[in-house]
Amino acid sequence: MSILEVNGLGKRFGNTEVLKDISFTLDPGHTLAIIGSSGSGKTTLLRCLNFLETPDAGSIVVSGQTLWSAADPATQSEKEVRKKRLHFGLVFQGFNLFPQYTALQNVTLAGQLLAKERPDFKQNKKAIFAELEEQGRALLDQMGLSQRADHYPHQLSGGQQQRVAIARALALKPDILCFDEPTSALDPELTGEVLRVLRELADQDTTMVIVTHEMAFARDVADQVLFMDGGVVVEEGSPEQVFGNPREERTKQFLARYSN
Amino acid sequence: MSFMTVTKMLLESFALNCQLFLITLILSLPLGLVVAFGSMSRWKPLSWVSRFFVYIMRSTPLMLQLAIVYYLPGIVWGPAYNLPKMVAASLAFILNYAAYFSEIFRGGIQGVPAGQQEAGQVLGMTRGQIFLRVTLLQVIKRIVPPIGNEVITLVKDTSLANFIMVKEIIMMAKEFGNKAMIWPLFYTGVFFLIFNGVVTLLLSRCEKKLDYFKV
Repeated sequence: MSILEVNGLGKRFGNTEVLKDISFTLDPGHTLAIIGSSGSGKTTLLRCLNFLETPDAGSIVVSGQTLWSAADPATQSEKEVRKKRLHFGLVFQGFNLFPQYTALQNVTLAGQLLAKERPDFKQNKKAIFAELEEQGRALLDQMGLSQRADHYPHQLSGGQQQRVAIARALALKPDILCFDEPTSALDPELTGEVLRVLRELADQDTTMVIVTHEMAFARDVADQVLFMDGGVVVEEGSPEQVFGNPREERTKQFLARYSN
Repeated sequence: MSFMTVTKMLLESFALNCQLFLITLILSLPLGLVVAFGSMSRWKPLSWVSRFFVYIMRSTPLMLQLAIVYYLPGIVWGPAYNLPKMVAASLAFILNYAAYFSEIFRGGIQGVPAGQQEAGQVLGMTRGQIFLRVTLLQVIKRIVPPIGNEVITLVKDTSLANFIMVKEIIMMAKEFGNKAMIWPLFYTGVFFLIFNGVVTLLLSRCEKKLDYFKV
């Protein structure tokens, strides 16, 4: 069974239709790469999945549970959305780390706040926080940042900041981890370290949706590729098919610009 | 009259400046925050009222505002409604400074990148948690320097209260002037310098405290 099912998703800003009837499914443990030129709606799609934008049409289903549906207002209240959004994690193009917290605090903060809602929080506060810290350190270690746990964001390079942001998103154990052009704000020599982490996550069967301009990376790592243009899915398929043998003229034109 | 006597008398009147300073600071900061939220409100009437208030308070002289608060109630409703001098002065100062502070708060809050809020949202934080745990400290860091400017100005502005006969330090010094002693007037500068020296020290300590991160 697919872990993510997007059905007929639509979104307009004023009179501009930025997403039209977007549908796709994603299997657990798979990596979906979304490619397309700027303004094609990739980022808006990702923001809809993370409930940072409210779609106008369609539905989002995770593991058979309808998280959001345009037809069902009960799924749209702020309180409902706050719980359900934790099925998704999002890593931003600009990292968006919290500047006043260390790398470790960035990773553990949300977990600590969520723990307050647990019934046993009062009795076990110390144990819960210790466990969260241990998890946080393990995640930073996994990102190759164990030496940077107590550094503040401004003391870290862009690549390190982005890896902290990935650890922060992983800390809440989302079903699906989304990346919005995770290397676009980085100097070219720093993209490698972030892509390496993404590759490792893919190898560990993390379910991921990655909006990216790194074509070689998408081809290499993704199990599934979606090419978007003008707010619609123009072509979808395996990387071999989309990159090696695109059916649509628009896909060919887009890829030709990248191969030069 | 000896130097010590003059010092003592000036110091006594400077207590009024200090009083006015403290009461204004304590009440105009929270009021400014309320006005800032009003100005940013999505409910248009509230936003208009808040912005109009800010416009009035920032566009007219503080001296005129002092005069209006002090004289107008008596003229409109009769002498029984005259406010005591210090109350009138405090009221005018609080309203005036709240307007300035509100704009600083508004700038500080709106200056935090939207991505900070969004990062909190996708991590499942509530609006309250995002404001308290993510946004607030960044706002404070941004507003300490401009707030500091206003606070230092406020120390000096308190002497404007002599316009409605509050016997603060400058007014006291002028009374010495009437007795052909001009030096006490110049000497008042020392009091302001010392007071603002302390304020400046406190402010830079605040800034240092927040130096550990960059926004």
